[in-house]
Amino acid sequence: MKKISIIIVILAALAVLFIVLFGPLFVLNEGEQAVIVRFGKIVGMHSSAGLKWRTPFVDEVHVFPKKLMSWDGEPQRIPTRENQFIYVDTTARWRIADPVKFYESISTLENAYARLDDVIDSAVRTVISSNFLREAVRSSDEILKAARVETFQTGEVANSDSLQQLAIVSTQYEKIEKGRRVLSEEMRQLVSSIVPAFGIEVVDILPRQIKYSDELTESVYQRMIKERNQIAQAFRSYGEGKKAEWLGKLENEKRSILSSAYAKAEQIKGKADAEASRIYADSFGRDPTFFEFWKAIESYRKTMPGFSKTLSTSMDYFKYLYGPAGR
Amino acid sequence: MPNPIFRKPPSIKLRWPLVLIGLAVVAGIWFLSTSFVIVDQTEKAVLTTFGKYARTLGPGLHYKLPFGIQKAYLVRTQVIQTETFGFRTLKPGIVTQYSDKKYPEESIMLTGDLNIVDVEWIIQYRIADPQAWLFNVTDKQKTIRDTSQSVLNMLVGDRAILSVIGPDRQNIQDAAVRLMNELLNRYGLGVEVTQVQLQNIVPPAGVQAAFEDVNKAIQDMNRLINEGQEAYNAEIPKVKGQAEQILEVAQGYATERVNVAKGDVSRFNAVYEEYRKAPEITRKRLYYEMMEEIFKDQKNVDLIDKSLSNLLPIKNLTAPAQKEVQP
Repeated sequence: MKKISIIIVILAALAVLFIVLFGPLFVLNEGEQAVIVRFGKIVGMHSSAGLKWRTPFVDEVHVFPKKLMSWDGEPQRIPTRENQFIYVDTTARWRIADPVKFYESISTLENAYARLDDVIDSAVRTVISSNFLREAVRSSDEILKAARVETFQTGEVANSDSLQQLAIVSTQYEKIEKGRRVLSEEMRQLVSSIVPAFGIEVVDILPRQIKYSDELTESVYQRMIKERNQIAQAFRSYGEGKKAEWLGKLENEKRSILSSAYAKAEQIKGKADAEASRIYADSFGRDPTFFEFWKAIESYRKTMPGFSKTLSTSMDYFKYLYGPAGR
Repeated sequence: MPNPIFRKPPSIKLRWPLVLIGLAVVAGIWFLSTSFVIVDQTEKAVLTTFGKYARTLGPGLHYKLPFGIQKAYLVRTQVIQTETFGFRTLKPGIVTQYSDKKYPEESIMLTGDLNIVDVEWIIQYRIADPQAWLFNVTDKQKTIRDTSQSVLNMLVGDRAILSVIGPDRQNIQDAAVRLMNELLNRYGLGVEVTQVQLQNIVPPAGVQAAFEDVNKAIQDMNRLINEGQEAYNAEIPKVKGQAEQILEVAQGYATERVNVAKGDVSRFNAVYEEYRKAPEITRKRLYYEMMEEIFKDQKNVDLIDKSLSNLLPIKNLTAPAQKEVQP
């Protein structure tokens, strides 16, 4: 009896285990969907979570995610329409929209990723290479509106317009026809013409990073450097010019100050000379003969002592040397 | 013959209640440990019944159906989570340590004027809808990162490099929050991006020197202008003083000239008054006074007679006067 009861207990446990493992009930979690396959034939599909029924032994349950999934491609080197090589790194969001079709055509996620790699890479390549680089980089014409004036922290010294003119990097931006969003949408549409056959829906394809190929990067660097150099030169040259201006101003003011001082000085001197002349003339004019005599003896007084002299007695001064009555 | 099989049953029979009790205890522990869920203040719990969403629980102790019939997923909804791009934080602290490693595959971007710029940024987000967070999207962190990178690339691609480096920072941050939330809502990720903060935005390493050079050039410019001003300031005040000097000297000359004239004239006038009273006498007196003054201190003056009749002409005209005049 006891042996039988032990066997019953064991059997009961096995039965429970059996029902749990192979039984008619299974749990489908949120975010999952399932396809029921009976002898290789799809007999049912569950897309909402909960406790589900199946026929034991004969039904195989294939569970697939219902969630949105990410696809991440390798950066691809693609020539743009103007034949510049760029690397485009794209990602995509996708989901299994129709698990029945998905099971029929692809069956596993690995296969799905492989298929997506082919399809999306090709779509990205097609769209990028048939558009100009600017279409992939920009998504609006906002850059055209923005004031293209670069502001520099130049300090108070230089704020002149001429400097601003020099430092402006004048680039003409071309309008874009589509822009990045439209290109993304084009990629998605290209892909969407293929993947529904696999029961897949691609929600969006986004370029995650676009960058120049290495050779191109080098030449872009060179261009950027030259552009900066040109601006730096403008500042230095402006400084040189301003300095020269100051030096010129210095020379100018120096000369004008000194010469105007000279002019004034000569004027003052001339006036004084005229005044002196007038004073002399007023006085001396009263008797020109006496003035001449006076001036002569005054002058002799000053000049004669300096001469080395040999005197002749014929001077009037010596006339009494000849006799008391004079010569 | 006693058989071990027949000896054993009594002992098994003895332990049956023990086994049952043991099983009951295990079942009890299992029951208790799977019947309750503790939800922290920072969390919310999502409850599923047989995999199907039942309800969302707030903080506190909650009862749920045991044995995996109901499952609770804890989601940290109150915690702000951070993702960094272009750099990694090694160890946050008072002095936060950052990894030296660069992540150019995240930070290098093309600007709208087709320049290259290196952008580092962080985003902060919070799980707003735990149910959506758990069940709508796989690779959640990757989806958030991909979205953020794509949005930042797009925004930077729409602007000129100088706007990105300078004045458009705030605009980019605001637009990035808005666009990221739009995309993530479309994916039903159940998160809310609260902040996008741009960190370092610099020109790529290869051209940084050139960008720096522009700043240096501005300094050079200011230096040159100051040098010019310095030269001006060094010279002009001095020159102004010199001009004053010239004027003063001229003024002195003028005053002197007039005074001398006045003096000369007043002496002349005085003498003239006397002269008028006795012209002949005065004239002679003046003449002799003058001659006396001239000859008074003279030595070695040769005196020769015009007709050579009174004194011997002992004079060698080629030699300087050496002999005394013989009276």
